[in-house]
Amino acid sequence: MQESQKIDRRLDPVIPDITEWPIYKLSQDKESFLKEVVKATTDKLLNKFKDANSLHGELKSVLYQEKNRLTKEPWKSDKPEERIFWSEIKRKILIVDSIEEEDKKFKEDKKILKEILHFYCLEIVANFEPKKYRVAQKVLPFLFGRLMNVSAGNKKNFFFPASKNIYEKMNITGPIDHIRNLSKKGTVIVVPTHFSNIDSPTIGLIIDIIGLPAMTYGAGINLFTIGILSRWLNDLGAYKLDRRRKNTPYLELLKNYSTIAITRGAHSLFFPGGTRSRSGQIEKKLKLGLLGTALEAQRQNLLNFNEETAKKIFVVPVVLNYHFVMEAASLINQHLAIEGKEQFIAEKDDYSTSYKLLKLILKVITANPGMSISFASPMDVFGNEVDFEGQSINKIGQKVQIKNYFMLGDTMTEDLQRDSVYTSILGERIVEKFLAYNTVLSSHIVSFVAFELIGREFKNLDIYQLLRIPTDEIEIDIEEFKMEVNNIREKIIDLYAEGKLKIHERLKGDTDEIIKHGIKNLGVYHAQMPLEVNNNGNISTQDLKVLYFYHNRLLGYGLEKHFA
Amino acid sequence: MDLKNTSHKFGVIGAGSFGIAIANLLAENGKVLLYTRNEEQRDSINQKHLSRDLKIHENVEATTELKSIAEECFLIFPIIPSDNFVELLDALAPYLNASHILIHGTKGLYTPKKLGKDIQLKKQEVFTMSELIKLKTGVVRVGCLAGPNLASELSELQPAATVIASSFNEVIEIGQQALRSTRFQVYGSNELLGVELAGVLKNYVAIASGMLTGLGYGENARALLITRGMAELIHIAKALGASERAFLGLAGIGDLIATCHSNKSRNFRVGLQLAQGKNLDQIIEDLGEVAEGVKTLIIIRSLQNYGYKAPLAEILYKIVFENFPIHKGIGLLMRFSAEKDAEYIV
Repeated sequence: MQESQKIDRRLDPVIPDITEWPIYKLSQDKESFLKEVVKATTDKLLNKFKDANSLHGELKSVLYQEKNRLTKEPWKSDKPEERIFWSEIKRKILIVDSIEEEDKKFKEDKKILKEILHFYCLEIVANFEPKKYRVAQKVLPFLFGRLMNVSAGNKKNFFFPASKNIYEKMNITGPIDHIRNLSKKGTVIVVPTHFSNIDSPTIGLIIDIIGLPAMTYGAGINLFTIGILSRWLNDLGAYKLDRRRKNTPYLELLKNYSTIAITRGAHSLFFPGGTRSRSGQIEKKLKLGLLGTALEAQRQNLLNFNEETAKKIFVVPVVLNYHFVMEAASLINQHLAIEGKEQFIAEKDDYSTSYKLLKLILKVITANPGMSISFASPMDVFGNEVDFEGQSINKIGQKVQIKNYFMLGDTMTEDLQRDSVYTSILGERIVEKFLAYNTVLSSHIVSFVAFELIGREFKNLDIYQLLRIPTDEIEIDIEEFKMEVNNIREKIIDLYAEGKLKIHERLKGDTDEIIKHGIKNLGVYHAQMPLEVNNNGNISTQDLKVLYFYHNRLLGYGLEKHFA
Repeated sequence: MDLKNTSHKFGVIGAGSFGIAIANLLAENGKVLLYTRNEEQRDSINQKHLSRDLKIHENVEATTELKSIAEECFLIFPIIPSDNFVELLDALAPYLNASHILIHGTKGLYTPKKLGKDIQLKKQEVFTMSELIKLKTGVVRVGCLAGPNLASELSELQPAATVIASSFNEVIEIGQQALRSTRFQVYGSNELLGVELAGVLKNYVAIASGMLTGLGYGENARALLITRGMAELIHIAKALGASERAFLGLAGIGDLIATCHSNKSRNFRVGLQLAQGKNLDQIIEDLGEVAEGVKTLIIIRSLQNYGYKAPLAEILYKIVFENFPIHKGIGLLMRFSAEKDAEYIV
C-alpha cells in the first residue's frame, strides 16, 4: 500500500486536456447516453411489470404520486411545464383505460412509460462545460484562500492570499499518487462522509486540487433554485435528484443513470450516507442503492470485456472533518425529532435553499479555522484493497480475479440478490474506513469529554431529559476536565497506534493547548457557545444539543466505556 | 443454473460418518469427489465402494489431494470436526478463490485462544465456521448445513430433512439442487448465524439429556430440559447477534429433539456415561473423538459477561469439569427462578 502524502500544492491534472475528460465525453455523447439509460431502465421495469395490467397499474400510481407531489409538497424548483406534462400523461392513461385488447394496451402503456422516463431524463441529466469549470477552478480556491486568510487575521493579504495557506488549512492527506494512477486505469468512485452542505463544494475543490478530472454527482434538486448556482452546478456535471420522488420508474432510472455513467468511465462521487449525518456521528449504515450501481457497472464491464480489458472500478472513501458544522443545531434537532419521536419537534433546516447555502459557504470559510480531509486507501467493489496498478489483493494477500465473484460454475451470471449482499459487504468496508481515517481534532476531544462528563453527572436521566437540563445548572470542574481530556487523549493515541483512527498533529502536544484550541474552534461560529470557560475558570455550555452533536463524532470507538 | 447439465463434481471434505452420508446424498444428483486423509480408506472407497462397513455410492470417488477438490469442484462441503477446521482452511486456501461456494456441516465454534479453566473470551475471539472460512480464505459465498441429521439414520436411507443457511440465495438454491432427493428434503434460510449457533449450542443440551437417561429419568424431565434448554440457547444467540427464528426451525428445535433422544449422538453419550460415573477423560478415550458439546460448554461459559444468563451451561460445566454432583446440579436448576413461559417470543 502506498504511503500517505500530505498535499501542499495544487497537483498537475492527471489529464491536462479537459476535452479528454470522461465527464466531458459523457456530456458530448448525451443523446446516445440518455438513449442507453432509457433503454436499460425500460428493460428492467418490463422485467418487473410483465403484462398490461401490472404496467398500467404502475403508471397510474406514478401519476397519482406526481400529482400529489406537485400539489402537496410543491417546491420552488418545480417547473410550470411539469403540470402540463402530467395532465397530458393523465389524458393518455385515460385513453389506454378504454382499450380492451391486452396486446394493444401493453404497447400503448410502454409508450407512455418511455415518455415519462424521457421526461425524467431531461430533468436529471448533467451538463459539463469546460469554460465554466475553468472559472470555478479559479474562483473557488480564491474564495477559500482569501477568506481563510481573513479569518486568520491576515488582512494585509485580503486580495493576494499566500496560496500555500489554503493547502495547509485544508490538510489533505492520503495515498494521492495511488488514487491518481488508478484514475488512469479505471473508474474512480469517491465516497465521502457527509456532515454539511459545504461538503460538495469542498470535495469538488479537493478533487481539482489533487488533479483528478471532475466527477459526476447527484445533487438535490432543491439546490437548483437560484439562477446562478443552479446553472453552475448543472454545468459542472451535477445531475439532479428529487428526493420527494419515490416511484419505482424514477428510482430505477436514477440507478441506471449512475450505472451507465460509470460504465462509460465517468468518475463519480456518491455520499453513501444518503443525506447529512444528523446525529453528528460517522455514518454507520449506508444507503446501498447508489453504491450498488458501482457493483452493477463492474459486472457489466466484465460481461462486455474480458478480465484484462474490462475497466475496473475503484472505491475511495474520504473523511471530511471540520471543527464545526454550521448546520449543527438544525441537524441535531432533526435527529432528535426522528429518534425521540414526539419528544422533540424538528426545526426547519435553515440551509435548504441555494441562496442560504451560498451564505453558509461564505460563513464557513470566513470563519474556518481549518479542516482535515483524509483519503482512504482505494478498494475494488468487493472491498478488497488494490495495489498501485489496480490489482485486487484479498485480505489473506492473494491476487484476486474479480470476475470470480460473479461466476457460478463455468458461467458468469447475473444475480441481483447476490449483488445486494456484495454491496452490503462493500458498505461495511467503507464504514470501517470512515472510522479508521476519521481525523480526531482538538474540538472533537473537548466536546466528547465534556458531554460524557455531563452525562456521568446526571446518570439517571435519559438522553432526552439530559438535553433539557437548563445550561446554567451545568459546570464541569476544570481540573477534572483536564484529567479526563488527557485520559481520552491517551486512549485515542493508542487507537491511532493500532491504526484505528487518525489524529491531528496537535493532539500529540500539550493538554492545555488542546483544550484551549478545541474550545476556541468549536465555538467559532455558533451564536451560543457549545463550550466555554466561565468566570470560575470552569467549563460550561450554552447549547447542550450542539455539544451532543459534536460529541457524537467520536462514537464508534468504544471510548464512552471510559465514563461508564 | 441447472446442475444436471454440467460436468461438475461436488466436493466433500471429510470422510467421517456424516461426510460419507452427505457424499452419498450428493451422489444421487451427480459425481462426487470425497477428500480423506487416509489412503487406505481412499483405496477401499475407489476399489470396493466401501468405507469400513458403510456402502459408498458408485458416483463417489475418493482422493487424498486437497488441490484436486478445489480445482474440480466449485461447490464444496467441508464436513470435519471443528478442531481440524483451521488447519484444513490453511491448507486449502491457496487453491480457493471467490468463485468457490463452501457449505459446511460442522457444528462447532472456534477460538484462537487456548481453552482452559477460567478462560475469558471476547465476542470477537469466537468464530463460527462460516466466519472462519471468510477470514481464512478468499471465499465469500458461504453457507452451512444444519438440522436433525444423525449420520447412521441417513446411511440407512431413512427420510430426513436439513436446512441450508446463507446470506446468498444462490448458495441455498444450489445446495438444495445438489442435496435434494425423495428421501432428503432441504429447507433454506438467510439466517446464517442463527442456524450455525442453533447447530452448535444444542450440543451441550444433548449432554444434559444423556445425563437424564443415565439417571433413569423419563420424558417429563427431558421435555422440560428441551424446552427450557431451547429458551437458554435463544438468549445466548440473541446476545451474540442472531435472532430466535432459526431456533424454531429444523436446525433449532428439530435438531434438539433428535440429539436429545438419540444414543447415537456423541454428546448424548458423553452425558450418559458421566451419569454412570465415568470421568470425562475416560469417556473421550472411549469415544475416540471429542464431543463438540464439551468444547461449546467452555466457550459459552467464558463468554458469560455478554449479558445472558445460562444456568444450564453453568451447572453442566461444574458437573463435567469440576466433579459437581449431578443430583445437586439438578436441584439447583429446579430452584432457578422460573421465568414466564416462552418469554423469548416478544
